[in-house]
Amino acid sequence: MSKFKAICLLMILTVLLSGCWSKRELNELAIVVGLGIDKLDNEFEITVQVVDPSEISSKQPSTGRSPVITYHSKGKTVFEAIRKMTTVTARKLYFAHLQIVVLGDELAKEGMNEPLDLISRDHEFRNDFDVIVAHDATADEVLNVLTPIEKVPANKMLNSLKTSEKTWGTTQSIKIDELINTLNDKEKSVVMSAIEIQGDKNIGEEQTNVKRSKSSTLLKYAGLAVFKEDKLIGLLTEEESRSLGFLRDKIENTIEIIACPKGGTLSTEITHSKTKIKGKFEKGVPKINVLIDIDQNVGEVECHIDLTKEKSIKYVSKKTEELIKKRIEETIHTVQQNYRVDIFGFGEVLHRTNPKEWKKIKKDWLTVFQELPVKVEVHVNTQGTGTMENSLVNKPKGE
Amino acid sequence: MSISKIADTSQNNDQLYSSLSQNLKMIKNTLGNSNDLVIREITIGKAEQFTLAIIYVDGLSDKISISNAVIDKLMLDIDDNNDAEIEKIIRYLRDSCLTVGDVNDIFHFSALYNSILNGNTVILVDESSTGIVTSTQGAKDRAVMEPSTESVIRGPRESFTETLRTNTALIRRKIKSPNLWIKSRIIGEVTKTEVAVMYLNGIANEKIVAEILSRLDRINIDGILESGYIEDFIQDSKTTIFPTVYNSERPDVIAGEILDGKIAILVDGTPFVLIVPALFTSFLQSAEDYYQHWMISSLVRLLRFFGISLALVAPSLYVAITTFHQEMLPTPMLISIASQREGVPFPAVVEALIMEVAFEVLREAGLRMPRTIGPAVSIVGTLVIGQAAVEAGIVSAVMVIIVALTAICSFLFPAYGLSNTVRALRFPLMIVSAIVGLFGLMFGLMIIILHLCSLRTFGVPYLSPFGPLILQDQKDALVLFPRRALLTRPRLISQKNTVRGQKYFNTKKRNQTKV
Repeated sequence: MSKFKAICLLMILTVLLSGCWSKRELNELAIVVGLGIDKLDNEFEITVQVVDPSEISSKQPSTGRSPVITYHSKGKTVFEAIRKMTTVTARKLYFAHLQIVVLGDELAKEGMNEPLDLISRDHEFRNDFDVIVAHDATADEVLNVLTPIEKVPANKMLNSLKTSEKTWGTTQSIKIDELINTLNDKEKSVVMSAIEIQGDKNIGEEQTNVKRSKSSTLLKYAGLAVFKEDKLIGLLTEEESRSLGFLRDKIENTIEIIACPKGGTLSTEITHSKTKIKGKFEKGVPKINVLIDIDQNVGEVECHIDLTKEKSIKYVSKKTEELIKKRIEETIHTVQQNYRVDIFGFGEVLHRTNPKEWKKIKKDWLTVFQELPVKVEVHVNTQGTGTMENSLVNKPKGE
Repeated sequence: MSISKIADTSQNNDQLYSSLSQNLKMIKNTLGNSNDLVIREITIGKAEQFTLAIIYVDGLSDKISISNAVIDKLMLDIDDNNDAEIEKIIRYLRDSCLTVGDVNDIFHFSALYNSILNGNTVILVDESSTGIVTSTQGAKDRAVMEPSTESVIRGPRESFTETLRTNTALIRRKIKSPNLWIKSRIIGEVTKTEVAVMYLNGIANEKIVAEILSRLDRINIDGILESGYIEDFIQDSKTTIFPTVYNSERPDVIAGEILDGKIAILVDGTPFVLIVPALFTSFLQSAEDYYQHWMISSLVRLLRFFGISLALVAPSLYVAITTFHQEMLPTPMLISIASQREGVPFPAVVEALIMEVAFEVLREAGLRMPRTIGPAVSIVGTLVIGQAAVEAGIVSAVMVIIVALTAICSFLFPAYGLSNTVRALRFPLMIVSAIVGLFGLMFGLMIIILHLCSLRTFGVPYLSPFGPLILQDQKDALVLFPRRALLTRPRLISQKNTVRGQKYFNTKKRNQTKV
């Protein structure tokens, strides 16, 4: 057989092998950007947020329709519920562009292992979307809220999650694969950002919500939710969430407010933070040392302090050190006493330091964790004072 | 064609008659009494005892030189006292009388026709069967002008013309070496077109030269009207869609290639000169690359490689991604494209095919239209495929962008030949992409690459220096190295004398003495 014939045959064969079975035109797809999972009377309730592309497009004039549509369906399993949804959707649901998965409050309290199985198993789902938990609301309610500026609420949720993680530090993004890994990991517990609805839930569904300059209903991140295994057990406050951020070395940028010597306050902007956690066993007793290196700039001065003097800068650094150290120690204490789960990953550190000793305490690690001595050391370096030196407050009046 | 080339080697029994009137009758009969044949009969000698005929074809010969160097001499300046015999008078005419550069004897009719049809003048003397040919060629030809297909910003402004002699002169003016050799052949039973093979002796691969000449000799056809005829006859693979013979209308490009050790083939009647062996990379190199700073040239070359890839795969990539691999697009982009696709009645591949075909039609129309109607085509084209189609909802705006991008990229080629290949290959790629997505696209590209790897042009792998990988020749392939790094010639082209600037004259002599 000539080479040409062979090539022709191969080409024909490939066509037969695959065909156009997976072909789908863009205008035959319903692009799912948000997925909500709730539990209601032993049934899963699934909510999907689908974009209406022609409403999102900047070119065509808006026809007044909502930019996203949410569909609901119930089923004994998540898979069943999703397939059932085809009876109400106009097009095939396409999950590859899923941005965010919202778990309902009730579901999270009862355990999230079951519904997570499908979304990590199905090939149509990618593994790069974030998972968050709804606080005091169902996932359905969260996904129904229309958001201003970002026409797609799922994008809004993802963006504020990331922006707030970067510049404030009370949220932490967790991707599905990381979540699954942590759930399998006995040494570390899951924390997940919690979102809440501010304002009237019913108005949030209306388009009027985005037609006014001051939206009456907004989605807001409330802090970090703590899980014991796969069950939600509590919510960290903002302060505690940020301390956790420091401990997990996730803080990129945040601010601190300290008191001035002669009254008033001074805010500093933390520009860089590096956390090192070291573990050791002393005669079989585990110990943790936390060392945090922080660079900061003076951000806002509302008191009398002469920043041109080195003494003042040292004061600022020292005060910040004390503040952060105190808060972190308090957070560790609260978690050890109230939640009794290792969300900091201390177990992992100890395991890495001394696997032999770790095996001995591994079984009752959570009991050990409650009494674990943790030494926190914070080094703060104040680098700059911004574009001006002394505050306007400093100037004597009448001059 | 110079007359010394008209070798009078005819074996036929077509010797000239000794009677002038018989000869003239024969000539008139053979040429069918065509009215551009001019026969001027004069008599010379003391007693006007010798009758001569001056024969030339009007329009092919230079009338001024005929009247100054031939008719003037014969009628006015001739020594009338000469009354020797006929043989002497012929020698006298040839050696002392005619003041033209090139004079020769002919004995046959075939040589006579060849001479006059090439613009020379033949003088026949009564009672002698020997004719005298004088070189008086002077057909009207186009002046050397700026190249119209390969323009540069910096570089020589001249281009080849339709006259072979002008063309060889243009090259010789650039390479003033005695080693620039020309071997010529007459091809075409009827057209008798002169084809010249030009190369640097001692640098060009002699085997390739011999191969070219033998392939030229094997051509058996009635006429050669353009170098494209020759190209088709001499290329290695007749089935490939890729050009394996390079052509250019720029003397500087041809001179550069000859210096690399390549071989030029010039055909009378066309300004496009062929170069062999032609490598794939030659088609992505412009003359200007060598005239500007190497860094700029390198960037421009990378841009061209990027352009050819885009021109080849852009529509297929679009079809594959939007119908099979939507997950590869960033979400905002997917939503944006999806919103444009809303309401478009065709699948992406049909949309792409419609637009690409429409563009090809416009391009072809623009090319063949009389110049005065040209703008009308472009206006209709812009309005129809640019705007109206989108507004009518027949195609999506992003498809128009893809087609425009493809079109612009296909104009990026310095050599037109490869551009056509890419144009043609785009369509099968689109179809396989529509059937099996990126898998099909990769499959198609692999077939193309395998095919390219299998190609050879006069024994040199077409894809070199990439396949086979020749590290030292990377200096002038994807990027261009500074000139001091370019001091060796491409390795596979000329296997000896690979160092530029070496006195290859001397080495050659030494080699010869050894033998």
